[in-house]
Amino acid sequence: MHSQAMFFRARADERVDNPVLQRALAKAKPLFVGKRAKGIEGLADDGMEFEALRQAAAAIRNRVVDDLDVWLEIFEERARATGAEVLWARDGKEICQLVIDVARRHGVTKAVKSKSMLSEEASLNEALAGAGIRPVETDLGEYIVQLAGEAPSHIIAPAVHKTLAEVEALFACHHGRSPLPRTAADIPALAGEARQVLRQHFLSAEMGISGANFLIAETGSAALVTNEGNGRMVTSLPKVHVVITGIEKIVPTLEDFATLMRLLPRSATGQTISNYVSLLTGTRRPGEAEGAEKTVYILVDNGRAGLLGSPWQDMLRCIRCGACMNHCPVYFSVGGHAYGWVYPGPMGSVLTPLYTGLENALDLPHASTGCNQCGAVCPVGIPLSRLLHDLREAQVARGLRPRRERLGMWAWGRLARWPGLYRWCARRAARYLAWLGGAEGRIRVFGLAPGWTAGRDLPAPSGRTFHELHSSRQTKIG
Amino acid sequence: MRVALYVTCLVDLLRPEVGFAALRLLEGQGCTVLVPPGQTCCGQPAWSAGDRPLAAALAQKAVAELEGFDHIVLPSGSCADHIRNVYPELLAGDPAWAERARTVAGRTRELSDFLVNVLAVEAVPGRFAGTVTVHDSCKGRRGLGIKAQPRRLLAKVAGLELREMAEAEECCGFGGAFAVDFPAISTAIVDRKCQAIAASGADAVVGGDLGCLLNIEGRLRRRGDEATRVLHIAEMLAGEGG
Repeated sequence: MHSQAMFFRARADERVDNPVLQRALAKAKPLFVGKRAKGIEGLADDGMEFEALRQAAAAIRNRVVDDLDVWLEIFEERARATGAEVLWARDGKEICQLVIDVARRHGVTKAVKSKSMLSEEASLNEALAGAGIRPVETDLGEYIVQLAGEAPSHIIAPAVHKTLAEVEALFACHHGRSPLPRTAADIPALAGEARQVLRQHFLSAEMGISGANFLIAETGSAALVTNEGNGRMVTSLPKVHVVITGIEKIVPTLEDFATLMRLLPRSATGQTISNYVSLLTGTRRPGEAEGAEKTVYILVDNGRAGLLGSPWQDMLRCIRCGACMNHCPVYFSVGGHAYGWVYPGPMGSVLTPLYTGLENALDLPHASTGCNQCGAVCPVGIPLSRLLHDLREAQVARGLRPRRERLGMWAWGRLARWPGLYRWCARRAARYLAWLGGAEGRIRVFGLAPGWTAGRDLPAPSGRTFHELHSSRQTKIG
Repeated sequence: MRVALYVTCLVDLLRPEVGFAALRLLEGQGCTVLVPPGQTCCGQPAWSAGDRPLAAALAQKAVAELEGFDHIVLPSGSCADHIRNVYPELLAGDPAWAERARTVAGRTRELSDFLVNVLAVEAVPGRFAGTVTVHDSCKGRRGLGIKAQPRRLLAKVAGLELREMAEAEECCGFGGAFAVDFPAISTAIVDRKCQAIAASGADAVVGGDLGCLLNIEGRLRRRGDEATRVLHIAEMLAGEGG
């Protein structure tokens, strides 16, 4: 996907003022937060404890990331032994090329897709369409955003930004019927309508494209965690199945997979387990009624290997549950599209600059209040706030911050190291602010920091600093 | 017990009353309180902006000023978190400073945490005839584990009735430079906080960080809420709530 992350500020401001989007977000947030809280509480009923589980999960992911090359070789060997083909892609362009090559070899004219954020990194749908292959998204949310000509705005709830009325309008238009008045009670009917349309595609597509939540090294399998059942259709009905996944998605054993599964659905949707958990191993064997005749893994770098050994290596533990964005005050103020690339929210603000260039996403590391709610809920203990901080340091080290900010920081830094002068300036500032506040003691427009007074008043001080008052009291006492 | 009161740059400039309230509370508990005269800013703004050398220089300055005390107390979770959790790491690579930074960090406490967990205070002078809701500031909550401390202290304030707001631990949208840098987003976030405060029906909102409180008060007033009082926990405990 072509990144628009450098326009974060403008895109965010637009969305803060969009009442339709705000309604959709306001509805979704308490659901996400409430369900996850319940899911995590439920761990205790099964005799498990979040913190201990999180450490175990982090250890599993670290074990893989620390020796990624070795695990990749093991996976490749085992997957080949199951009859699958394993291909490697350095970037989005190579993903598209490989998928199109496979499609051409098998005479594919239509590909059904289950959710894959990597295919968004690669703009795969556009490339397929350009090559004369029709891509059809089959995850309900992905289907909605595809009809709307948009990108997903959330990694597990792609159409979370859409209201019921918007979905109804889209379905009426694309399914060739007249629009109907709809309430929440009609949601199952709308889902059913999409199912009817998608069924035809499942039966006629020659290729299924999916991501994988995990790759299991010991068995050479792909694990898919889904709720709608479309993942099963995509991976078992068409004769060719292509799995596109990042190289960091490996877990060593099925046992490790089970540990991660205790956290993934709970963190994402609050479920103890998702409706479907599929382990796909190899191709259709003789005597089996279904399954792909050809399975191809495309293992993608697209910037991931560059994180190894860097201050951001922790990010490679990410299992894409979405909990960080579901608990992010910024995400729920602006929605996912404001972030401008594939991944939104805290994990996106870390990944976008790392995968698309620091200089192409200057605002994202700063678009955080530092509240660290993301870090508190992350099931694999990624210190997201800290990683954002380290990106800020990297910007400073590379001279990417605006001159005004650098000058201001330099001047303030000199002052803060010189208490005499600092006190004198603070006294002047306190008097000036008190004067600005006037009789009502409140500043409504503050030219030195207009951002502050754009949406709020600045309560004005009384005019004397603490140190000034304190030293005069000390003198009196003395 | 020699206690250093580090009032923070925001309190110094914008609400000295908080500093004096903290001072009275500590002295009332029998502490010998000194206000190290050279204090300016702990350096958190430099750290947050990604300016590590400046943050380290300001950390050294503060460590030198604070290392002679038994305890260092701040009326701010965010600055206390910076000294406790960031200083040791910031100065870890410098043999002349690493140990000193660790020592100062270990002696540093946020005010309500100090009152409860070090002094184990029995009574506070504050009285307040009304309902109060608490905003849990992010750094205090998630950096220092401050949650029960302010509530235990508020329970000792005569006349005060605690009324929890929904999502008390949710960020208020301040975030230091963030509030000035991204005003529209910050306003959207603090609006949700204001709604939660209003829904609680409390007469006053209390917090441990002046940055958050200025943000909340500023937005409440801009929204036309002139009634809800916004007080620092030190002010409420010391009896300035009225």
